Amino acid sequence: MTNLSLADLAGYMRQLGEGALITLELFAASFTLAFAFGVLIGIVTLSRSRIVQAVWRVYASIFMGVPSLLVIFLTFYGGSAMLAAVFGEFSARIDVSPFGAGVTAFTVVYAAYIAELVRGAIGNLPKGQFEGARALAIPPVIMWGKVILPQVMRLALPGLVNVWSFMLKETPLVSLAGLQDLVAAAKISAGATKEPFIFFIATAFVFIAFSAVSFKLATWLEIRLDRGHRREAAVRSPSGAAA
Amino acid sequence: MNGLPIDLHLAWESLPALFDGLKMTAILTALPLLFGLALAFPIGFARMSDRRWLAFLAEAFVTFFRGAPLLILLYLVYYGLGQIEALRKGPFWILFGSPFGCAIVALSFNHAAYMVEVLRGSLLAVPHGIVEASEALGISRRNVFIWVKMPLAIRYGLKAYQNEVVSFIKGTAIVSVVTITDLTAVANSIFEQTYDPFTPILCAAAFYWAFVNLVRIGFDLWGRWLNRHNAEDVAADAVAPGRGPSLRPASDLKQVTP
Repeated sequence: MTNLSLADLAGYMRQLGEGALITLELFAASFTLAFAFGVLIGIVTLSRSRIVQAVWRVYASIFMGVPSLLVIFLTFYGGSAMLAAVFGEFSARIDVSPFGAGVTAFTVVYAAYIAELVRGAIGNLPKGQFEGARALAIPPVIMWGKVILPQVMRLALPGLVNVWSFMLKETPLVSLAGLQDLVAAAKISAGATKEPFIFFIATAFVFIAFSAVSFKLATWLEIRLDRGHRREAAVRSPSGAAA
Repeated sequence: MNGLPIDLHLAWESLPALFDGLKMTAILTALPLLFGLALAFPIGFARMSDRRWLAFLAEAFVTFFRGAPLLILLYLVYYGLGQIEALRKGPFWILFGSPFGCAIVALSFNHAAYMVEVLRGSLLAVPHGIVEASEALGISRRNVFIWVKMPLAIRYGLKAYQNEVVSFIKGTAIVSVVTITDLTAVANSIFEQTYDPFTPILCAAAFYWAFVNLVRIGFDLWGRWLNRHNAEDVAADAVAPGRGPSLRPASDLKQVTP
């Protein structure tokens, strides 16, 4: 069926592996940044200030209503012009790499989704958590870090898993801006060998396997973040509750 | 420092082309939504079937077409299926021979896989007691499904359906890779002609934004119409905003899937 020699196949596999590594790097960088900014934005937009609320609403509406692909194109094609506008003329010669454009675009888009999740989760926390922290004179940094955010993460986890898997499935879009990622490597190999079926199926399975692994991880994380809540239920067998 | 330079003249000139692109995007949204929904019902029933092999097959379908990125599905259908000799000779080549047909197939299967999960989730959310009561009244299983389970399932699943439709519309932006001139492709070609990175892409973004928000408004109206019988409860909730019931958080959090 196939006209590939074993040596060829090994070569292509190495190329795909390198591509997969780039995809993974892109995903890790984007998700980390989006998560950090999302949590930050989620906390900042708790402010009642009208301006903050208006800015948040416009930002969220735009980036939740526009395809990520367009945002990637915008940051890739228009990135250097935007940098020049922000930093002045001396940076006009900065070229934006596809990787940088992709990370920027995904960060901007998914920070909005994560901020929305965080806002929802904070809104669903009992008010007593904030009041208790204030009554105990816990400083704000410790209150957020040790009291509020751990509970927020527990509430936001299902949504975060959703965002995670959506983002993973959107990372191939950066290959359209010229990033040599897994999908680009698969396309080149498919074109060179005239065996598109094998390469694209293999690529699809890489993504499916990665989501399967991350769902396993999410389940473990869920159990771990839930441990405070299960303590009441499992008080008779404390060792069983430890995850 | 004059912000983003938008060339109004160029924007005005490219309006007809952008509208053509929007038309293509709308078609590429509407048809797969229809076919995907039609496919989702049999596959959803198979997924919930008691026959293990049937449920397994349906689950494999869902796992594959949900887990693989849309771009790869598109490549797979467009480049991969042409490799199969039998298909090239067969009657389906009319469908798979054109980029448009390939895009419709890939998008429909992807949407169907997501809809299976939406359908399953909302059908499982229907309280069992209502179904049992209907069966006790001697209503046939088919009628119970059509008149009791589905109307409730639509109400439970509406938010999830809306999210899926919205993210699906945004997902169609990639069909330009198989040479279809949708909204994104039009914006891209204008960029390539003028090297103006902002005007065409921002215009296309505005079109997408308007399209997505029209769909959102449509869903909101539909949801309000479906829930018109408890409109008073909603009004009462709005007057006295308090902590919702404990079930609220989960459904609220599901609203923001991309």
